[in-house]
Amino acid sequence: MLRPFALYRPTTLPELGDLLAEHGSDAAIYAGGTELLLLLKEGMIRVRCLIDVKRVAGLDAIASDDGAITIGATARHRAVERSVLLRERCPLLAGVAAHVANVRVRHVGTVGGNLAFADPHSDLATICLAYDGVVSLWSYAGERQVPLTEFVLGAYETARREDEIMTSVRLRPWPRGTAGAYLKFGVYERPTLGVALAVTMSSAGQVSEARLAVGCVGPRPLRLPDVEQEMIGATAEDLGDAAKPLADAAAEAAETLADLHGSADYKREMTRVFVRRAVAVVAARAAGRDLHERYPHTVVV
Amino acid sequence: MNVRRALPVALPPAALWKLLWDVPRIVGCVPGCVEAREVEPHRRYTAQMSQRVGPISLSLPLDVSVTGAEPDCRLALLARGRDPVIGAEIAMQVILVIEAQGEASVLHVEAEGRVLGKLGALGHGIIQRKAEEAVDEFGARLQRAAAG
Amino acid sequence: MSDTRTPSSCSLAFTVNGRAVTLEVPAHVLLLDVLRERLGLKGAKRSCDMQVCGACTVLVDGSPVSSCTYLAVEADGADILTVEGLGHGDTLDPLQEAFIEHGAVQCGFCTSGMLMSARALLAEDPAPTRERVAHYLRGNLCRCTGYTKVIDAIVACGRPQEART
Repeated sequence: MLRPFALYRPTTLPELGDLLAEHGSDAAIYAGGTELLLLLKEGMIRVRCLIDVKRVAGLDAIASDDGAITIGATARHRAVERSVLLRERCPLLAGVAAHVANVRVRHVGTVGGNLAFADPHSDLATICLAYDGVVSLWSYAGERQVPLTEFVLGAYETARREDEIMTSVRLRPWPRGTAGAYLKFGVYERPTLGVALAVTMSSAGQVSEARLAVGCVGPRPLRLPDVEQEMIGATAEDLGDAAKPLADAAAEAAETLADLHGSADYKREMTRVFVRRAVAVVAARAAGRDLHERYPHTVVV
Repeated sequence: MNVRRALPVALPPAALWKLLWDVPRIVGCVPGCVEAREVEPHRRYTAQMSQRVGPISLSLPLDVSVTGAEPDCRLALLARGRDPVIGAEIAMQVILVIEAQGEASVLHVEAEGRVLGKLGALGHGIIQRKAEEAVDEFGARLQRAAAG
Repeated sequence: MSDTRTPSSCSLAFTVNGRAVTLEVPAHVLLLDVLRERLGLKGAKRSCDMQVCGACTVLVDGSPVSSCTYLAVEADGADILTVEGLGHGDTLDPLQEAFIEHGAVQCGFCTSGMLMSARALLAEDPAPTRERVAHYLRGNLCRCTGYTKVIDAIVACGRPQEART
């Protein structure tokens, strides 16, 4: 049983802004409710009203915009999974969306809800980091864009102000010749570790750009630019040979925090293991092969 | 959780000791702490503590008892409180030791405690981190209070 | 359409298993409670109460949802399908027949959820592979069967449609 609340359903952003201004911290923004309703059930938060944002027009749009892809905040994970545009331009994101939580959460939960809640144990923020995600925030004061690296501040904490709503996330698709993989590991409902790796190969067959993001093991997902730098210039074969030192560097650079999924040391060790595996998978894909390896309790996208 | 810090303060030990007993000023240094009241001079105090982790807000009355006091040197406190709304309980032991360093001091803070109830679901790691941030912020504010 | 003049209470009009239903429901009520308590449909179960186990699965406009973590007001204007809506009178749905035939039911507590998820899957993919079934049903937990026979039953249900095309 939930404690009673009022439900408002604005159809425009200004209407939403009015409601936020009127109710402040007595209101919660409600989209899919897959996290919010759990918090309410647990009694971890108390609100007087829910502001349903699903009727604000256009907030669920998935569109191409000047080379970038924009995913509206109320787009469901299922829509991301099935989007023709995303499968074509950001295939790894569409692939990861197919493995978020369970099929029911995928039908109901939204991209915006997931990113704004910033649960460390989730996949979406990690893979969006690998696409240089930028979040759009709307308030009466205006709109602002915040790179995902600066939007997610820590566990359950984002840069969103109380008077703001996240409207979309903008992604930079990878150029042709990019090989990537997402490895998701865990035995629980939520992932224990997520590694996103994508390398763009130049026409000379060398890594010209690398993106490595590690999530779930710390308070927030992180890109590892120092490790990315070490991949530049490598051929697909070099990359495969360098899996172990790259993994060691990643384990060193990762920020891990103990919780019920494991100790900080365990997570550091798993980072080492899974970055090594991710490099092996991506190196093979960059060479035009696929490893088809299966690792226990792991989804390889 | 367990937090240890060594905080430099621009005050000699006696002046720092006096500052520590200036309840309104010290409460102002503890992040999230408001409305400190003296219940029994040098023995018991109450305060209202508010903290936030993401969407979860905590607000609870703290009962603070002084368990040991050695003038200009060491102060030991026990702080306890319960938030009935989210069913979270906090129990903390705080030991403050003043070390003279020339004209100034170093305040050694050791805070050890437990967070029980639903908030514990956040996980030890996050609670530890929050506690560390709170002690660091306390140190920064204390330094400002000592200077101003 | 819903009346939100009093924002804490809503008038809902939807269909449940093909039958039209109108209800006045407070905004905070969960779909599972409306189904079980207001409509007497006890097939969906409250089990984990945190959308993890799937025992409360029902279909809303063909989509599987965790009714334990879904506001009833979201069902306004929708077609809801529960396990009671599978089959007609004494005739069981082919899925239900397959579950029985393959021994995919033991205590039965997870079964309604399994059936609803399977129904949604088959509507989307009429002849799913074992792997596809296992992935789709990953959010439906069972403590009895070990899942193999559940997958057998669903795959078997898929094949006749495949033969049709």
